Amino acid sequence: MIIAAALCPSPPLLVRELTGADPVVADLRDACAAAVAALVAARPDVIVVVGPGPDTTEWPADGRLNIAAFGGRPAPPAGGAPLPKPVPLAVGLGGYLLDQAAYTGPRRLHSVSEDDQPADCLRLGKEIGDTAGRIGLLVMADGSARRGLRAPGHYDERAEAFDAGVERALRAGDLRRLAAIDPVLARELLATGRPAWQVLAGATRGTKLRKDVMYTGDPFGVMYVVRFFYVLSELRDPLIPG
Amino acid sequence: MEGLAAPPPGGALRLGERSFGPRQRVIMAIVNRTPDSFYDRGATWHEAAAMERVHAVVAEGADIVDIGGVAAAPGAQVDIAEEIRRTVPFVAAVRDAYPDLVISADTWRHEVAREVCAAGADLLNDTWGGWDRRLAGVAAEHGAGLVCAHAGGLAPRTRPFRVAYDDVLADVLHRTLAQASRAARIGVDPSRILIDPAHDFGKNTWHSLEVTRRLDEMVATGWPVLVSLSNKDFIGETLGVPPEGRLTGTLAATAICAWQGARVFRVHQVTETREVLATVSAIRGEVPPARAVRGLA
Repeated sequence: MIIAAALCPSPPLLVRELTGADPVVADLRDACAAAVAALVAARPDVIVVVGPGPDTTEWPADGRLNIAAFGGRPAPPAGGAPLPKPVPLAVGLGGYLLDQAAYTGPRRLHSVSEDDQPADCLRLGKEIGDTAGRIGLLVMADGSARRGLRAPGHYDERAEAFDAGVERALRAGDLRRLAAIDPVLARELLATGRPAWQVLAGATRGTKLRKDVMYTGDPFGVMYVVRFFYVLSELRDPLIPG
Repeated sequence: MEGLAAPPPGGALRLGERSFGPRQRVIMAIVNRTPDSFYDRGATWHEAAAMERVHAVVAEGADIVDIGGVAAAPGAQVDIAEEIRRTVPFVAAVRDAYPDLVISADTWRHEVAREVCAAGADLLNDTWGGWDRRLAGVAAEHGAGLVCAHAGGLAPRTRPFRVAYDDVLADVLHRTLAQASRAARIGVDPSRILIDPAHDFGKNTWHSLEVTRRLDEMVATGWPVLVSLSNKDFIGETLGVPPEGRLTGTLAATAICAWQGARVFRVHQVTETREVLATVSAIRGEVPPARAVRGLA
């Protein structure tokens, strides 16, 4: 049973050391930290991190982002243990945010492939949501990376309307609408978060949500949104006791 | 998978009619026939201005001119016909004006390469890392040289987006050596092949800095190394300066690469680069000072 979900983007620059002397995106980092703190404060039995990756698979819970691959220095392993297995960027950044929040409870790390169709993603979300216990979901997902001439994917005139549609669904808390995002268009627009949004839609289907808007912006031509969703009730059921 | 081809013994580098020894540092001046390149912003878009630039860089001591018709950054589409229109007549005009100057063509397309070689180009500067598999064959056909660069597998005119490497230098070596070997196998003269880490292509600033720091590992392969550092974004991000403020950082990186053994330097500023390279050569004891009398009289 999903009790709460946090939604954060997954640019490498969330890692403070990767932006050099200038914090660059302090406001974005603060928003992500606040969303994850709210997730941890909801006292889930387990936090499931979901982010796009090359395959749909579960990773070892001790998997971590390989910061060195992006030019940072690898954190020294605790107690001389071997470095944990590297995981895909989005999943690794989710784990990184949990570490930053000093969360030490149980976690599961799940990547979802860009090749998965919406129905697959919804099903995966439902499976995660149907797991016994109080599940906290940390979804790592980005909008289009083609929002301007300096954007990583340059400019695509469709990007703004695409992201606006996603943003409206998130703002309304009507996550079912995320299920309808076209994977082909998302891929063309470099909107890497598409499969992860649809996992979120599947996991929260049939629930009533309170939503907190924490960040919306595209400082580098990539759409970042940070949200926190608190599950007030399953629509079939009375209020879920907190 | 066939083994890697060996570079030519003795470090010979031949370009056009010229031969460059292993301790000679060679300047390749950038001449863009583009309206939209990041640094010059169309300054040599018109043919007369481009030819003026060629005269100037030759007078300043450039050994090679690198003529390009398509900006590296994403932007307005430039098709094959348009790229040919921008570059081929100009290469022919430069060849007429300077029969012995080494002319490099900055292109990834084999169709363009074939035309510029016919017009007199000596070297194909394939910055996008062998994206067009037929390009090397054109170099072989025409006896031209080839720059084998690392773009991390990115398509031409795309920006790096969250690129990650377990070991960036290992990937640079893997891709550039594979291209150099393949080029040699299909008939490009090995003494006309260079390798280039291609700073900022498929790399973030940290990656470009690491490639600079570890350039000696490329040099150790024995293939001549070309570096293209000039006023690039990794310098801009390192210093927090816009393109027009990047010369000092460019020259510092130039000195570091020269010290580690880079042979060819693709640049906007020829005079400043020549002075840096002469200083490095003197510090290394490879070339005497121009004049030394202080304390010696």
